[in-house]
Amino acid sequence: MDLLRQNVWSPYLAGIIIGLLQIPTFLLVDTALGASSSFVTGTGFIFSLFDSSITEIKYFAKYMSKDKYFWQSALVIGIALGALISYKASGRKASFSSASWKNIGASSAPVARLLQGFIGGFVLLVGARIAGGCTSGHGISGLAQLGVGSSVAVAAMFAGGIVTANLLYKRAS
Amino acid sequence: MEIFWLVILGLTMGIIFGVALEKSCVMEPGVLIGQFLFKDYTMLKMFLAATATGLVVLSGLTALGLAELHPKSFVVGNIIVGGTILGAGIAIAGACPGTVFAQIGRGYKDAWLTVIGGIMGAAFYGYNKSLIDGVLDMGSLGKITYAELFPPLPFWMLGLITAAALVVVMIALEMYRPWKVDRGMDQNNDASARSNAAHA
Repeated sequence: MDLLRQNVWSPYLAGIIIGLLQIPTFLLVDTALGASSSFVTGTGFIFSLFDSSITEIKYFAKYMSKDKYFWQSALVIGIALGALISYKASGRKASFSSASWKNIGASSAPVARLLQGFIGGFVLLVGARIAGGCTSGHGISGLAQLGVGSSVAVAAMFAGGIVTANLLYKRAS
Repeated sequence: MEIFWLVILGLTMGIIFGVALEKSCVMEPGVLIGQFLFKDYTMLKMFLAATATGLVVLSGLTALGLAELHPKSFVVGNIIVGGTILGAGIAIAGACPGTVFAQIGRGYKDAWLTVIGGIMGAAFYGYNKSLIDGVLDMGSLGKITYAELFPPLPFWMLGLITAAALVVVMIALEMYRPWKVDRGMDQNNDASARSNAAHA
């Protein structure tokens, strides 16, 4: 429990733990670790409240029916629970937005944060769904399987991120 | 496995995932974007450690015949364009599709809007999939892996060699820039980390 109360872990420890999660993922779920598919599952069920024909769209139907997508949806809810337990255990305080935004010269005005969050989230998932995976699926899992496509996806991800970050933020803190 | 147990398993694994993301500060926007600005190397280090561990794990599981690989298809246009847009999205949102949930758990209210934006983004792609995929169509190379490109070496051997190479990269990175520097910690005094108000 002392480990849970610690303020920070080394990125290597965190990475090893996340890498070990591939064991139950491959052995028990017969898939690879990922996160962005859960958005399609969530979208399908939320939109089905307004658009009953959404289940006739093959893409949504697939993510609303296969077991592994329910597992992944539970996984991302678990991620939120884990972060909640972790920050409470280390005695940190909640805030409207991360204090780290000021390290890169970004505004901490709530309106700016909400607007940027919404736009960023939209771009994030459009990109991830076009590519067929995100930082977890293509990144951590794709590279661990020596996937050629995933290695190109990660290179493109870093290229897009580096260019955009340098346009939007300041290097100096 | 029954859906009930898959959900329990997912929640349990997610909690471990979430703790690791929160403790390593990788879910902090300034840390994630800091990597793209090359002023914080936490994200790259965690990413390399997770990949190297995954390579060792999957080398073992496949060599023992306990698991099969699930590589993703190399749909050329989708991978290049989608990957670039995803990278831009990470820089704008300060989050990945997985870490945004850690931000919600961490108590950041703005992360809810990132999730809502993400749901709209997934809907946008889902409703326009055939149109978008059609525009980006440059063919597909299938679920190809580097192990198939180098047939003399089985996956587990190439996997272990790659993992070893990543360990060398991590050692070099750590010598160039110790991880505690990025956390604003005194390298010789762990206690100062606890009193350090600047979390990221």
